[in-house]
Amino acid sequence: MQVATDKGVRADADARIVARLAAGDMDAAAELYDRCAGQVLGLARRIVRNEGDAEEIVQDVFSQAWRTARAFDTSRGSVIGWLLIMTRTRSIDRLRARQSRPDTTAESYTDTLRAPGPSPSDQVLSDEQATRVREALVALPAPQRQALELAYFEGLTQSEIAERLPEPLGTVKTRVRTALMALRQGLRA
Amino acid sequence: MTTPHHDVIAARLSDYALGYLTPDERREVEQHAGQCDACSQELSELLLVMDGLARSAEPVVPPAALKQRVLARLGRETQEGVATVQPLPGRMVVADVRRSGWSGAWLAAAAALLLVAGGSLYLSLERQDRIASELARVAGEITELQQRLGDNAAQADMVLSILTAQDMRRIDLASAGGTQASAARAYWSPTRGLLVAADNLPVPPPGRVYQVWLIGSGGGPVSAGILGSPGAGRGLLIAPPPGGISTGPVTVAVTDEPPGGLPAPTGGKHLIGSL
Repeated sequence: MQVATDKGVRADADARIVARLAAGDMDAAAELYDRCAGQVLGLARRIVRNEGDAEEIVQDVFSQAWRTARAFDTSRGSVIGWLLIMTRTRSIDRLRARQSRPDTTAESYTDTLRAPGPSPSDQVLSDEQATRVREALVALPAPQRQALELAYFEGLTQSEIAERLPEPLGTVKTRVRTALMALRQGLRA
Repeated sequence: MTTPHHDVIAARLSDYALGYLTPDERREVEQHAGQCDACSQELSELLLVMDGLARSAEPVVPPAALKQRVLARLGRETQEGVATVQPLPGRMVVADVRRSGWSGAWLAAAAALLLVAGGSLYLSLERQDRIASELARVAGEITELQQRLGDNAAQADMVLSILTAQDMRRIDLASAGGTQASAARAYWSPTRGLLVAADNLPVPPPGRVYQVWLIGSGGGPVSAGILGSPGAGRGLLIAPPPGGISTGPVTVAVTDEPPGGLPAPTGGKHLIGSL
């Protein structure tokens, strides 16, 4: 299977770069930066919508990766996925601090993705799958997309989304769930 | 497996992926998913979707200066991290509780605890607030210390695993032509990693660091990492095996390179030894 092989190759490459990172190899850090900084900065900027904050988050994320590389288990996900989880958490923290909202989701989200999942080997997203999720997101009906984006990119709870829109909580829950279902379909398309 | 419990859990999977569940609820979901193929499959897919959402943000070309800022910061952090464990025979010293204010924080914690234990009934609300915030601050520092201790424990594990590996061999490194009587011992296990401890090292040339190289048979030098400095004249590296080194004879060399090191050696050779 082509996809499985690609994933295997990437998992090996990920394991190597993480081992080098853990050994204090600055070349590995530079390589990782070249490979991932664009996506990290893109996500940070998408969430915090402020260039200075986004660049600080990039620094924090690579610093955290550098310090904690030893603890990262490449069988549990891709390196880019790991960096982006840290990026989202830090960005939402920053956003919440700026808006003085209590921090409710960022921490638990990180825990969730760190928590032992049922079948870790499946949890590496291929580039094709990433593209298909993006396409499925764009293709969502606007209200569903909006609800999901508020949840994901602003870290809003469903009650906060309901208040923001404003829509009944039940409607918001249905929209988020339906949107996620469509994206799951997108994975397999 | 469709039971009432299954239906409850299945309805919570997307909340799980979005991070809306409490730790107890999350554990319940994980437990069920461990036994239920359908939920396990759906959860895996939802987590992939989360990954896909993260990657749906348009990548941005970072400003050139940002890379320098990031690498410079990591360079400062390397030195701190690598230099924290001294693997002297049979003992380990945590040498890097160096943040100023540490002892102050511990004293404050002790004082706060005494106050709470001894006279909580008599404390004004304002004081309680102050103590609560002090405790929160101390808790944060303890978490950070635990993280550092965890890092040190991981390093100690790696040292032990290198030194006790069946395929471990010792390589003595001698000064490469310099006048200084520096010397180092390398402990190399192709399966576990490399430990290098150096003595009488001169201070590296200004703006340079010591980088350690492994050269296998029939290959070029591969970086093993930057030599940390646990004390004046001493150098220490603890590293997992770099890729691309065969199990055969190896040479270990130390050169001076720009901060952060380079992919291939360019600077002066200071120490060298072969197996």
